[in-house]
Amino acid sequence: MRRRTGILLGIALVLAVVAIYAYREFHRTNTNLAEVKADVTVGAVPLVNEFLANDSVANVKYQNKILAVQGVVKEVTTSEGDCTVVMGDTTGMSSSVRCLLDSAQAAFVGNIRRGDVITIKGAITGFKKDETGLLGSDVELNRCVLDSKQ
Amino acid sequence: MNNRLMGVAILLLLSVLGNAQDKFFTKSGKISFVSKGTVETITAKHKGVTCVVDSKSGAIQYAVLMKGFEFAKALMQEHFNENYVESDKYPKADFKGMVSNNSEIRYGQDGSYPAKVKGTLSLHGVTKEIEVPGTIVVNGGKPQLNASFSILLSDYHIKIPAVVKDNISNTVAITVDCALEPLKP
Repeated sequence: MRRRTGILLGIALVLAVVAIYAYREFHRTNTNLAEVKADVTVGAVPLVNEFLANDSVANVKYQNKILAVQGVVKEVTTSEGDCTVVMGDTTGMSSSVRCLLDSAQAAFVGNIRRGDVITIKGAITGFKKDETGLLGSDVELNRCVLDSKQ
Repeated sequence: MNNRLMGVAILLLLSVLGNAQDKFFTKSGKISFVSKGTVETITAKHKGVTCVVDSKSGAIQYAVLMKGFEFAKALMQEHFNENYVESDKYPKADFKGMVSNNSEIRYGQDGSYPAKVKGTLSLHGVTKEIEVPGTIVVNGGKPQLNASFSILLSDYHIKIPAVVKDNISNTVAITVDCALEPLKP
C-alpha cells in the first residue's frame, strides 16, 4: 500500500515538474542581451568588409551569434519609439552595421551622436546585400544594447 | 574643348541627380504577419524592411532578413526560424515588382492613391508571382506604402509539422508599412 502511494506520488511529482518546465518554456521571452556575454567582439568596418568579401563564409562564421560591435556612429534614427544606430565608415563607404536597439535602451539613445565611438551588443540577423547599387549593404543586429561609449 | 567636356560632365551629373531624386527608400520599414490557428494566434513583427521605389518607372523592391522577425515568445521565434522558414538556409525574403498603375500616382502631389503591385515574392527558396493591392500616401513629398495581403505557406513549401497541423493555419496575413525618404545621391 505504502509502496503504491510512493509510486503515485513520484509520478505526480514528475508530471508536475514536466508541466512547470513546459509552461515556463512556452512562455519564455527573449533574453535581455545586457545580461549575456558576447560570443564575438569585432570592429564595425572589418565586420562589414568580411561580409562584402565573402558573405557565405561570413554568414557561417557569425550566424546565431551575439556580437559586440565596436565602431563609429554614422547615424541614429528614431521612429515611433524604435531606434536604429548605424555604425561604420563615416568617410565614404555606404555599407554599414545597422543595430536595432532593444526598446528598454530608449533612455540611452539621446546620448549617442554621429562620430561617437561605441560598442553595441546585439543578435546578428544576417547580411542584406545591396542588389540595387544605390543603398549600400548592411550587417543587421537585433535586440541591441549599448555596451559602452568611449 | 574644355568647355565642351565641362558641359558633358554637368549634364551627366544632372542626369544622375535627377535619377536619384526619382527614387525613394527606407531601411526601417515595418512588416508584420498574423496566423490564426484553432488553438493559438501567432503574430510577429519586423522593423528592418528595406524598400526602394523608382517613381518614374514604378519599379519596386522589398527585402527582409527572416531572423529579424520578433515574436512575443522565444520558443515561437526559434520554431519559426528552425522548423518553418529555415532561416539559416534561406536567410532573406524579397519582392521585386512594378506598380502596375504607376502613371496614376502623383508622387509630387500630396494625397492617397490606390496602387496595384505585381511581381515575384521569393521566400524559403521558392519564387512565386503575386499581385497585391495597396495604398501610396504622399505627404510632404514623401510616399508611404501600405499593403495587406495573404499568402499560403504551402505555396512556398513551408511545412507545418503533423503534430500541430490542426492548430496552425496554412494562411498567413501580411501587413507592410514603409515610410520612404528621397534617395540622395
